[in-house]
Amino acid sequence: MDTATDHPQCRIVPMRMLGPDTTKRLLEQIVVVPGIHRMLLNGQNIPLLVPYGPARGTENKTNLRKTIEVAGNAVDLHVQVGSITLEVENRKVIDTFRKICDAFFVDFPYHIQEGKFMKTHPTLVDYARYGPGADRNLIGLVDPKRKDKPTLISISNERVCGGYEI
Amino acid sequence: MTRTPQYGPGTSVVAMNRRKQMDPNHTLTKMRNITDEDIVLLLGHRAPGASFKTMHPPLAEQQEPDCPMRQLVKPTEGAKHGDRVRYVQFADSMFNAPCQPYQRTYAEMYRFRGIDPGTLSGRQIVECRERDLEQYCRLLIETEMFDPALVSLRGATVHGHSLRLSEDGMQFDALQRCVLGGDGMVRYVKDQIGLPLNRPVEVGKPLDSKWLKEHSTIFHSLVGTPLRDDREYVEYLQRIHMLRTRYGFMPKEA
Repeated sequence: MDTATDHPQCRIVPMRMLGPDTTKRLLEQIVVVPGIHRMLLNGQNIPLLVPYGPARGTENKTNLRKTIEVAGNAVDLHVQVGSITLEVENRKVIDTFRKICDAFFVDFPYHIQEGKFMKTHPTLVDYARYGPGADRNLIGLVDPKRKDKPTLISISNERVCGGYEI
Repeated sequence: MTRTPQYGPGTSVVAMNRRKQMDPNHTLTKMRNITDEDIVLLLGHRAPGASFKTMHPPLAEQQEPDCPMRQLVKPTEGAKHGDRVRYVQFADSMFNAPCQPYQRTYAEMYRFRGIDPGTLSGRQIVECRERDLEQYCRLLIETEMFDPALVSLRGATVHGHSLRLSEDGMQFDALQRCVLGGDGMVRYVKDQIGLPLNRPVEVGKPLDSKWLKEHSTIFHSLVGTPLRDDREYVEYLQRIHMLRTRYGFMPKEA
């Protein structure tokens, strides 16, 4: 499958990093917009275990890392979300996001950047690393060899194109 | 002739705050109270009520050599008792935290004795005798050098200084050692290395952004005082830069 290179991409960057509940509320509004191809949540990793120091290896009890439900799909959120990158069908979809975000971010500002934030074609290095069979939708977003696969958010709605990936 | 130390250059509020913190004759404003037991819990080096572990016998019990330097430099309480050396580490947000790593080291070197600070861009660790450490921690937490939201004790996994704040205004902490409660109080639920505490330790309410801007010791062009607004500071930095560039670490002006 070839990803279209002309599809616009955007990045929603709030001035504060979002907790799981706020992320859930925002995603609930975003994922129902028709025309999203791919979506990536970026942010600071919240480790399962304490990674450094004398307490290394002990459980990291936190409410920042949890499984949220987005449009009926469970998403294992293991970052504190700093930005949301999206690849969409056309620029009208980005305008819709802008309207959603204008209404959503009332306590602190945000901005939407338009540009190219995800790879649209695998590079030579990707080919050497992952071979010809690698999923081209995932290259540049996550390590295709990771065991935990991206979440497929499917919207049971006729007007959208089947599903979105996180 | 008496010499009045300048401590640092600058005419801005940031420069003034830096000088206040560095000047040992300036009494820092006390903002909150914290008990001895709370400090012990936060540091996590010993159980509350436990005696201090020692690494050598008390100096009074030792046969000290006849040394003029030892007569000149009086030992700190921790050194007198032979306490072991322990540490505290702070991470300060660049979003107008009232103290910053380099500033912290300067201030501590002027105010405290028997310390060994280690300074990094986003965190600062200071080592000293355990008894002294607890005393110093009291000043560092109770006074205007601390803000519950933007300054935190982090022995390890310190990342957060240069990141955007969380939506509740807290500095990012991957281990979430302190949480902002519904009543507006910040409570530590883990000690500085990330081990859960038996009971939460309250460190007060986060200070408002106006206060933080007025008491910050970091220049920030977006949320605080821009460095370029302080011409004297820029001039000083440019001079240091030129001297070091021309003469390395032995600057000599013509």
